[in-house]
Amino acid sequence: MSVSEILATYGDLYVQALLTTWRMTLISFVLAMLIAVVVTVMRVSPIRPLRMLGDFYVQVFRNIAGIALLIIIVYALPYLGVTLPYDICVIATTVLLGSAFGSEHFMSGINTIGVGQIEAARSIGLTFTQMLRLIVIPQALRSAVLPMTNLFIAIMLTTAIGSQVPLSPMELTGLVSYINTRSVGGIATFFISALGYVGTALVVGLVGNRIDKKARILR
Amino acid sequence: MNTSGTTSMRDALYEAPGPKMRRKIRIWTIISAVAVAWLVYMIVNVFYVHGQLAPRYWSFFTRATTWRYLGQGFLGTVKVSLTAGAISLVLGLVFMLLRISSIKVLSWLARIVIEFFRGVPSLLLIYFFFLVIPQYGIKMSSFWMITLPVALAASGVLAEVFRAGVNAVPKGQTEAALSLGMSPFKVTHKIVLPQAIRFVIPSLISQLVVVVKDTTVAYVVSYPDLLQNGRVLITNYDALVSTYFVIAVIYILVNYLLNKAAIAVSRRTGAKIIR
Repeated sequence: MSVSEILATYGDLYVQALLTTWRMTLISFVLAMLIAVVVTVMRVSPIRPLRMLGDFYVQVFRNIAGIALLIIIVYALPYLGVTLPYDICVIATTVLLGSAFGSEHFMSGINTIGVGQIEAARSIGLTFTQMLRLIVIPQALRSAVLPMTNLFIAIMLTTAIGSQVPLSPMELTGLVSYINTRSVGGIATFFISALGYVGTALVVGLVGNRIDKKARILR
Repeated sequence: MNTSGTTSMRDALYEAPGPKMRRKIRIWTIISAVAVAWLVYMIVNVFYVHGQLAPRYWSFFTRATTWRYLGQGFLGTVKVSLTAGAISLVLGLVFMLLRISSIKVLSWLARIVIEFFRGVPSLLLIYFFFLVIPQYGIKMSSFWMITLPVALAASGVLAEVFRAGVNAVPKGQTEAALSLGMSPFKVTHKIVLPQAIRFVIPSLISQLVVVVKDTTVAYVVSYPDLLQNGRVLITNYDALVSTYFVIAVIYILVNYLLNKAAIAVSRRTGAKIIR
């Protein structure tokens, strides 16, 4: 099929697929960030069981493969009485994976601050909340911009697992498989979807770099 | 809590607690311990209520044949991962060398290729090899249909990792070598690359985790890896939850150990892990 033929037949589906990928990525990223913050707070709290639970959560979800997790959520959870719609399954998977990596980024952001600053803050009499609000969180956020940009792109790439379940509307990867199992779509069907991913990644990367240049603290 | 010898940020955040605070922490430790225990109990209970703890779902894991079959699948996973890892290592190095070459056209081409493979999900590449390439009359075994896309996806990332390694070699060394009259090729070959590769070894190990994860889609091309063999077990024993549970644990352990190895190597060599 030529490109114009593909666009005439499947153009609308490609637009919908791109929007679906964007929507799933955005929702997953926001939710993953929220959970990552909660998990990170647990991991730096002085309460041992919470620390261990946070560490365990991160180790499990950063080491499991996205597909394996999705399959478990889609096919195993119904046996345990939890049946979720397919798009929720995909988003749940990307959120669980993304939040584990997000928490790792926050932790390394916190770790770059340096013990000396905390000691200095305490010796000038800042309270714990003041210390977090004035010293730790601003610096951790600033040094987390670039990793978070990469995480956003990683989450977008992970939403491709949506091709493994019947979604409607389909996302970019699922659409390529849909077209090519029904007809001989050819190489262009693949490149249109690839363009959607690469283009988005480039724009997000550029914006991230811009923000990072402004926010980064040079050490 | 503090095993590294120096105070970690985790512990530095709090001052040494006084008697009041220590009591508070103890109380909250107990409360949260109970909450975590309750959570674990609830999860086990859900398994129990839905009959998933019944012996018929778990007993076949005591048979040697089950593990031999899963072992075969695991071997398939290892084969794909190592082959893809090796290919991506070579490709990544080549892409990086082209990217830093002084010939503008090559550098730009390499840049486009690297950004492409970094920005495309490996699943899309797999569908390309599985559905699109056969349309042009090229026949491939299922092994290569899973290995090549995984390798290509990893090579883009590795090229950037190698480049970070090259950038970590002090510029002065290159200048010194050039002023000694070494050719640019010799400088890269003898001075920069050996050090750059040493810098990125931990990152390469942690990148292997991504490769192992990517290989789990092997069932799409029906290559017998761990997950695919697990799916066969499921149809044989009609035990879905327990089998997926065991397989997930295996994947998590393997990747956990790889990550641990990467951290151990990076501690010993003092090289950072680049992602």
